[in-house]
Amino acid sequence: MNGPHDMGGMHGMGPIPIEPDEPVFHTEWEAKVFAMSFATFCHFFPVDETRHASERMPPGDYLSSAYYERWLYALELLITEHNLVTPAEIEQRMAELAQGE
Amino acid sequence: MAIETSNECMSVAQAQALLQQGVDCRGVGDHPPRFQTGDKVRAKVIHPITYTRLPRYVRGKIGTVTKVHGVYVFPDTVGQRLETKPQYVYSVRFAAQELWGPEAAAQDGLYLDLFDDHLDAT
Repeated sequence: MNGPHDMGGMHGMGPIPIEPDEPVFHTEWEAKVFAMSFATFCHFFPVDETRHASERMPPGDYLSSAYYERWLYALELLITEHNLVTPAEIEQRMAELAQGE
Repeated sequence: MAIETSNECMSVAQAQALLQQGVDCRGVGDHPPRFQTGDKVRAKVIHPITYTRLPRYVRGKIGTVTKVHGVYVFPDTVGQRLETKPQYVYSVRFAAQELWGPEAAAQDGLYLDLFDDHLDAT
């Protein structure tokens, strides 16, 4: 796929920000996304499938997303494509969380 | 060959070992590698709308095999949950000037691990 991930030789994106003491995770949700992704791709998906999934993110979203936001996109795409969870169930849970439940 | 997924969940200890030590994913080839160290190869010009690990900037470019890594499953098909298609992987050195033109430093090179299906003989 000639997607936005294949950036070798692309100009105009600015310098890569380098943090001197970069933490493994910047927030708790990043750690959760990492754990859920590992739990599913060891169990249900070959790891290459998750990379293929994140590359299918719409290019504008891909380029403006953080690293673990791409992981989350791939996870949600694959668990719905494999009928483990429905998009409606994800929407419902998001609404519950937004209400503090 | 379809992808077999495990029905066994990985234990915490297994996950820790995997993350700390890594794992050897090499397979066994029943035929010799198509290319040897020193061979010139050309990366294929392909634009699959599905999945490939062959970067755009090397397609059509000529490089030199610097190492034969062994046999691995092919991510381009496994990533689509198709056949595993095990095949040889090679470290290929592309001169920076081959990729980026005369403005690149003459001594620089870029090494990519590429699969048999990504390469043609020159």
